[in-house]
Amino acid sequence: MRIDPVTLQIFANHAQAAADSMAYTLFRTAHSTFVKETEDFTTGLATPDGMTFASPRDLGATWFIGLDYANAIRLVADYRPGDICITNDPYAGFVCTHTPDLHMWKPIFWDGELIAFSVSHIHNTDVGGAVPASLSRQLTEVHQEGIRIPPNKLYAGGKLNQPLLDVMLTNVRMPEQNYGDLQAQIAAMNTGERKVHDMVRKFGVEVFRQGVSDLLDLGERQARALLGRIPDGDYFFSDYLDEDAPGGVPVRLALTLKIRGEEAILDFSGSDAQLQSSLNVPTGGAERHILLMVGYTYCLYSIDPSILLNGGITRPARCVIPEGTILNPKFPAAVGMRSMTCGRLQGVTIGAFQAAVPELLPAGPAGSSAIMNVKTTDNRSGRTIMASIDPITGGAGGWSGGDGADGSGANSSFLKNTPVEINETEVPIKVLRYGLVPDSGGAGKHRGGLGTQLEFKVFAPNTVVTARNRDRTRFSSWGSNGGKPGATSGFWRNRGGNDEVDLGNTDVVALDPGDVILVTACGGGGFGPPWERDTKAVLFDVQQGKVSVQSAADDYGVVIRDGAIDETATAARRARLAANAKSAVFAFNDQREAYEREWTDANYAALTEVLASLPVNWRHYMKKRIFAALAELPAHQRRGDGSEVRRAFELAVGEFPQLRPAQAAE
Amino acid sequence: MSYRIGVDIGGTFADFCALDEATGHLSTLKVLSTPQEPGREVIAGLGELGSRFGIKPQDIGYFTHGTTVGINSVIQRKGIRLCLFATENFVDVLELARLKMPDPYHLMSQRAQPLITRDRVLPVRERILADGTVDRPLDPKSLREALDEAMVLGAEGIVLAFLHSYRNPSHERAAQRLIAEWAPDMPVFCSSDVWPIIREYERTATATIHGYVQPPVARYLTALQAALKQAGVAAEPMVTKSNGGVMTAELGKSACLQMLLSGTAAGVIGAGFVARQAGQDKVLSLDIGGTSADVAIITDGTPTYGTGEMVGDFPVYIPTVSVTSIGDGGGSIAAVSAFGVLTVGPESAGSTPGPACYGRGGMRPTMTDAFAVCGIIGHGNIGYDAVTVDIDKARAAVATVAGKLGRGLEQAAEAIIQVAVSGMYREVGKLASRQGIDPREFTLLAFGGAGPMLGCLLARELGMRRVLIPTAPGVLSALGGLVADVKNDFIGTAYYPLSDAELPRFKADFDRLAQRATAWITQEQKFAGSYVLQPAADMRYQGQSFEIEVPLQLEWIVAGDRERIAAAFHAEHDRLYGHSAPETPVQVVSLRMVVVGASPQPQFPAQPRHDRPPEPLKQIEVYMDGAWRTVPLYRRAHLGHGHVLASPCVMAQEDTTICVPQGFSGAVDAYGNILLTLDS
Repeated sequence: MRIDPVTLQIFANHAQAAADSMAYTLFRTAHSTFVKETEDFTTGLATPDGMTFASPRDLGATWFIGLDYANAIRLVADYRPGDICITNDPYAGFVCTHTPDLHMWKPIFWDGELIAFSVSHIHNTDVGGAVPASLSRQLTEVHQEGIRIPPNKLYAGGKLNQPLLDVMLTNVRMPEQNYGDLQAQIAAMNTGERKVHDMVRKFGVEVFRQGVSDLLDLGERQARALLGRIPDGDYFFSDYLDEDAPGGVPVRLALTLKIRGEEAILDFSGSDAQLQSSLNVPTGGAERHILLMVGYTYCLYSIDPSILLNGGITRPARCVIPEGTILNPKFPAAVGMRSMTCGRLQGVTIGAFQAAVPELLPAGPAGSSAIMNVKTTDNRSGRTIMASIDPITGGAGGWSGGDGADGSGANSSFLKNTPVEINETEVPIKVLRYGLVPDSGGAGKHRGGLGTQLEFKVFAPNTVVTARNRDRTRFSSWGSNGGKPGATSGFWRNRGGNDEVDLGNTDVVALDPGDVILVTACGGGGFGPPWERDTKAVLFDVQQGKVSVQSAADDYGVVIRDGAIDETATAARRARLAANAKSAVFAFNDQREAYEREWTDANYAALTEVLASLPVNWRHYMKKRIFAALAELPAHQRRGDGSEVRRAFELAVGEFPQLRPAQAAE
Repeated sequence: MSYRIGVDIGGTFADFCALDEATGHLSTLKVLSTPQEPGREVIAGLGELGSRFGIKPQDIGYFTHGTTVGINSVIQRKGIRLCLFATENFVDVLELARLKMPDPYHLMSQRAQPLITRDRVLPVRERILADGTVDRPLDPKSLREALDEAMVLGAEGIVLAFLHSYRNPSHERAAQRLIAEWAPDMPVFCSSDVWPIIREYERTATATIHGYVQPPVARYLTALQAALKQAGVAAEPMVTKSNGGVMTAELGKSACLQMLLSGTAAGVIGAGFVARQAGQDKVLSLDIGGTSADVAIITDGTPTYGTGEMVGDFPVYIPTVSVTSIGDGGGSIAAVSAFGVLTVGPESAGSTPGPACYGRGGMRPTMTDAFAVCGIIGHGNIGYDAVTVDIDKARAAVATVAGKLGRGLEQAAEAIIQVAVSGMYREVGKLASRQGIDPREFTLLAFGGAGPMLGCLLARELGMRRVLIPTAPGVLSALGGLVADVKNDFIGTAYYPLSDAELPRFKADFDRLAQRATAWITQEQKFAGSYVLQPAADMRYQGQSFEIEVPLQLEWIVAGDRERIAAAFHAEHDRLYGHSAPETPVQVVSLRMVVVGASPQPQFPAQPRHDRPPEPLKQIEVYMDGAWRTVPLYRRAHLGHGHVLASPCVMAQEDTTICVPQGFSGAVDAYGNILLTLDS
């Protein structure tokens, strides 16, 4: 620490004011509803090297603490006052991580010297490509995901690069919106520059430079002290996405969190190979890539909210991410839906930290928020209407200090819903139900939060409903320390009717007039044994309709008769539940347990190893072949020791002599 | 002899302003408030007015009053036990709110528990659609079941909030009638009556708070009316409102939602009055008390209005003077983290135990203690002699922080002040970006017990060049109530395009609002003076999901001047967002009407000019800007029109202390306000 702590705290307040003022400016002047409703943007200030040292706290997405612009900055030469650079290329510098995110950075000078960057991004609703909104699970190459602008000057010395802008706007579906949001972004960048200049005038350029460096150092020291309080050890956690492509097999994300003194290694080895779908997360193999660090930041901040939220806190951590895997895909893998993978990855990180310090962190969050869109026709006006209607969010996990939040929370905390009255006014649908799903929260001494549900009816032919990021139909959130997992999510057409269809993880569905869609979210996991939950709290849950009388008896051992607790029956039942308890830190749902009896850790280790031996473009194909082969295997031939995976692999590879030389070369 | 009396009751003090209508002379007073027995302080204060200033109850011709009874009921959760009747399958409206968590980075962040928990939300079978048509008629049987259940649950009141009732209130009204038949004594609150806006959470939450506080507020007002009558005050008491206006206490019993934020709003109205008096057109008001620091933007004497202001943990969506919290006031506690970082707030010593130097058991260092250590306060009693400052206690408390910082006592004290000021800078900076203003063009009007102490320091941090200190900074809310207009807001749902075809409907809807507004002011308020109607419309571009309020002129509506109305919308859109799209169709979401009956504005007499320089009371030692300095201490009462002040200096008055650091020059205007200007 080189400037005194009082000045540093004052400096920190000014830096925070700058970052938040940028965010408010952007939010106020943005054009698109998407920015206003979802707040999927961020702003900030970065060092001349590109490390973010100030990020907004009031507004915007929560994923970008410590975003490092270094590699993108290096791809543009010769910075001058009045420059504004942009990129939305997920493969150039790895600042941008899917094409709709348009990132900008503006160098800030003082006396001819570069002292900082103001930085920002907005998720644009559409940047062209194969599908409206540019995002779909089934896309296989980044080229299908819209126009890509490599790092470039949009303004050079204050002069607009009109040809670049024209090319960009020519290739998108709603150019006015993109242009309007771009202007808002530029206004935010200029606010950042002005605020930095004010800071230099107040503190002097030397204190400014030192203050930035000290803020990052302080963040690092706080993070180190916090990590130092976590016992050394290797903490493993894994979780799955239900499908690796439409109708596909699961995606596994695995993390071994290695705490070594005041440092952490996040080893993601054992996570799936790169996919032929858009669930890949582009990181370029960077050791502290922002998308790998979101869960880490949440955990540190939740353990100690006095920690500074800046790039310094990521310094004591380092990630291991083998190339050609879902977390380090090779160009030109599609990456548009990386947010779905990231949501699960945050949960995996929470799980690994929870394995280390169970009392300080919550059980599994629902961790998937389906973003529901409707495209339909207004029968009265004949107009086509496309609208995002609601995020269907799940509950937070319970923790040692209390229940998980109902309806959203944990790593879905930043999302907002759209009022039923607004949806019905803007979109010709009728909402039949919107609320919480009873019994969806994992039972526990501290109950997991309930998921939400939305049911609505459409009235025109050729109506298309999309449920982006929908997951958790098969594998639900986990319970911990004796708590139970949350309920799985669901997606149905005409549920309860003769023509009911369970849509599972389908994310695009075409509907006829009169069809009804029901979508439910997963609940959060419970914490601690349910039979230790305060009986009055269970009764209150029942009175509130959050827990059924049946579940109160079965899961919590609380017998409720005529609205009152039967103390004798309850005592007996609770004793029985306690006697049959299994002791394990984590509890997973039945489907996951069944799946892991087949796909054991050893089988996964073998799979990781054999796929790594293949050229990247073969990996997903071969994964599917091996999964198909194992599915055919009779039960008595399953050993779960990796041998069946190796055998299936050998058989499959045998069909492709062309692979031998390639495999040897890898 | 006739006096106008303004009273504002806060957590620690009840403030009184008494205006002699004949001479324009203003007397001020503070007495300790009596939260355990609301109303008693009013009577005590009236007694003091009599004994100190010879003001007799029968001389009081006008009485306004702001109270925290409503907001305290919410914060302390001491309102009534309510049930909410909601449309079947939509009973989680309060539980889910708008989903977003208060601290989205925190995995264990929780929304506040609703005032009506889920067990007391009961479904009713009925459905109205977005266009106002009835999809399913109200089912009396399910209503009866809900009522029976509510009785079992011990309901003391029922909130009715059905989907789309802002568009078609018939189901809520029908249900209200039925409940009145079945349970005549049950208070019922309809969301379509309380404030009929689209967005079910916002409307339901607003109606809920209304119902929650109504009985306690009504009881309080009834008791107050009786006490005033008994004391011999003949004037019908008025109450101040969140919208900066006043209404009769009698009406306040049913319209209590409108008084929840009356104290802060009245302060801003008082600030607006002073701003006009001092000729300052762009003002940022800074109100710092023991437990809060609030700012508001005032342009040409008129505050900015907003909706969704927070009452405790909950937003209330009625038009309210927009006030932004920027900190926790003089009671904010200073602490040093394990990493040597000094923080001030958000923990606060509140009014009890209060700062260490108040000698009421507080041990931890607060911002007020830091000022005491620096020698800025403590030269006499403060708060109209209610508090004696114990410097030694302040020093002992600040010493704990100084030790950890490795600094001297006064250096640590100044650090506390600087860190607190930078925190306020951060919040004002955010507000400025949100509103799109540049604080450097504004004058900082500092009031409240601690505002004048911090005003210059914050102005310096923000690059603001002017600081205005009113004559009685500690009682500005009471003054605000005194000068506030009789005022009410009306809203009507529209939801049609701004087109020639819809203009007749637009005009007819406004006519109806105008009739309601006129009836309110002339009949319900029996207001005899002149009043104005201010129409506005919430409009948006077709397809936008958010609307903006656009002030209109009555003559545009009367003349059916669609183009002027549209132009006003485009211009307002451009002003707020920096862009507009004049070729895009415009939709009218709702219509608004404000009726304002002007209160007589006090004409304070201009003071004669002083031609001699002011006499300091004495020279004192203060620690400012890194050094002990000998500076003059003035008594505010000795300062008058034409006095010029050099910096640094300190001015003490009964309700506050003004701290003027190096670099400012002061001048007292004809009304006694002090304008401090940063030397260039």
